[in-house]
Amino acid sequence: MRLFSAKLIIIVLLVALAGLIAWAILSLPFNGPSLRAQVFANIGHSGVSNPVTAVLLNFRGYDTLLEIVVLFLAVLGAWSLGMVQLPGPPYPAGLFLSALLRILLPAMVLTAGYLLWAGAHAPGGAFQAGAVLGGAGILLLLTEVRFASAIVSWPLRTLLSAGVLVFTGVALGSMFLGGRLLEYPRHWAGILILVIETAATLSIGVILTVLFIGGRPSEADRTLSVKSTGKRKDK
Amino acid sequence: MVALIPWSVWIIFLPLLTGIFAFLFRGRGAQLGIVTAVGLLPPLIGLTWQVLSCGPQHYSVGGWGAPLGIDLYADGLSIIMLVMTALVGIGTTFYATGYYSPTGETKEKNHQQDPALFWSLWLLLWAALNCLFLSADVFNLYVALEFLGLSAVALVALAGGPSAVAAAMRYLLVSLLGSLSYLLGVALLYFAHGTLSLGLLAESVTSSPASFAATTLMTAGLVMKTALFPLHFWLPPAHANAPAPVSAVLSALVVKASFYLLLRLWFQVFTNTVTPSVALLLGILGVAAIFWGSVQALMAQRLKLLVAYSTVAQLGYIFLVFPLAQGKGTGFSAWCGGLYFILSHACAKAAAFLAAGTVLYGFGHDRIDELAGITQRLPVTMFAFGVAGVSLIGLPPSGGFIGKWLLLNAALAGGQWWWAIVIIIGGLLAAAYVFRFFSRAFSYVEQVPICRDVPWSMELTALALGLSAMALGIIATQPLAVMQIGAPLAGPVLTGGLP
Repeated sequence: MRLFSAKLIIIVLLVALAGLIAWAILSLPFNGPSLRAQVFANIGHSGVSNPVTAVLLNFRGYDTLLEIVVLFLAVLGAWSLGMVQLPGPPYPAGLFLSALLRILLPAMVLTAGYLLWAGAHAPGGAFQAGAVLGGAGILLLLTEVRFASAIVSWPLRTLLSAGVLVFTGVALGSMFLGGRLLEYPRHWAGILILVIETAATLSIGVILTVLFIGGRPSEADRTLSVKSTGKRKDK
Repeated sequence: MVALIPWSVWIIFLPLLTGIFAFLFRGRGAQLGIVTAVGLLPPLIGLTWQVLSCGPQHYSVGGWGAPLGIDLYADGLSIIMLVMTALVGIGTTFYATGYYSPTGETKEKNHQQDPALFWSLWLLLWAALNCLFLSADVFNLYVALEFLGLSAVALVALAGGPSAVAAAMRYLLVSLLGSLSYLLGVALLYFAHGTLSLGLLAESVTSSPASFAATTLMTAGLVMKTALFPLHFWLPPAHANAPAPVSAVLSALVVKASFYLLLRLWFQVFTNTVTPSVALLLGILGVAAIFWGSVQALMAQRLKLLVAYSTVAQLGYIFLVFPLAQGKGTGFSAWCGGLYFILSHACAKAAAFLAAGTVLYGFGHDRIDELAGITQRLPVTMFAFGVAGVSLIGLPPSGGFIGKWLLLNAALAGGQWWWAIVIIIGGLLAAAYVFRFFSRAFSYVEQVPICRDVPWSMELTALALGLSAMALGIIATQPLAVMQIGAPLAGPVLTGGLP
């Protein structure tokens, strides 16, 4: 009986909240004020021609920097749950999967590279490219555990934090060059955004792959993986 | 020249960088922690000096300026919160160097945690707090809230064991629900007003349906994150199960961050949309929190749970600011009282949690009934707990007393005497739960429980934080002068009979 009444209160509150939001949204003008005009007025100085990238990496780059820190924190959060064994088959991956992967992986890396490059003038950018790279990483992890266990120590930690470090470096560097925080020198803006996005793409890809493991990969696995057969994939 | 240095940037980026370095260079965490604790002092002093001499400070990131870019902003309120963070942060850092020292790691089961991850997460959490207190952009504040929430959740999970992971999971879900509710409010605000800057929103928000909905959503989300009764259910398990330095930081700082944001929004942005009845509702929930938290603290079987429920109760007081600020001429007194309460509660609660953590570290458990006579083993720690208790109860000359005194004066001068009764009864209840533990700890027994060696840094930092809560009661003029800078409320500081 008590449970029922608690549920009832929650349902009533939620319905009231939904009504409030609906009322608020219906009352808003269809073409309300926005920053569209300001974005297009300043896009020429941003170093890129895609408005989304201009907002994410230049006008509101500080937000994006913190968002990459949040992604990095997600890994720390997963790692704080403890050590896990690396996933993957204890036997060599099937012939079909291995063959497929050989075709898919280069294509995925290429797609990621294209998305990264395209971000400057068309939809794309570090987050999309990083997601493709993350998919490639997970496929690799499911078939070739040796690849993951080979870099589990400091190289992995460097890759995970590269995005934040490069972004912070550029942000503080532009301050030392006489500007403000994240105020890129005018003619270097395009290049610097590409540098930041490249590092961010790598980090995001590795972060997504590592999150798939669901915990801190045990460094002791390195010895275990030596026993597993299968050809070594260069990375 | 010194006036032009962007100190706020350093206050944000120093802990951010050291946090990432602590992840990269495992085993260097303690050194990096000390570098941060010491290195943050010059920028903090610099920024405080700038604010004191030139008023509130603006800094536009990227040189774009609001509304296109993001602005950093520091006024008296930000300075108070940053200094509070630094006080507790420095104390916790030195405590953790002892808590996570190599000698401590091997002996007990509660020290299996990874010190490198702790340092990295803790320094990032420090960066998140500084980000939040310096931001002047509602969306940037959302990112800072997520940054803060995720690092806090990970720190709770770090303790290991099923109860800590369950508490962390619940904390994560509440934290996400709170920030998503806030984000929905941000979306409504942007759609209605076309800007995300706090300053520009303050000028354009009127009592329209959209701003009313945004106020409701953002207040609900932040109240949930601040653990106001009855949304406090996640706090006691999360704060009681975390490692000792983490409990201190969560209770002293993290819950205050969302409350800080609530203050900013209510008194600077939503001045046209908030109604006295909503303020009254928050006040009533605060009263419920004071009673419920105190009764639960009285019944708690474990010391850390007692301290955690005490946080639920003490958070109730700061919500009295909302109804008290509605009184005629009492607004600024209530504002100062609330801030003073936050500041002294941070020091006192950090000291209490660190001392409780030392007890758990020394005796391997914190069951209150079996802690008779522990003062004979840990005199410094128990003295620290005692000093912190004085401030939690609100006895003079502690900082807690000043906070309660200002709130009392605001209640009486504004003709809202019923809040004064609550404040006084709340103090008595706090005395009851603090003395319930003292009567055990300070009793004399022949057979003193066995205690392992406790690093001196753990005992002394708790004491230093307890004493700073006490010192806040003696140097009240300077903090009050800082609170005045850029304050949204004006009026006299009603000190009544206070010398």
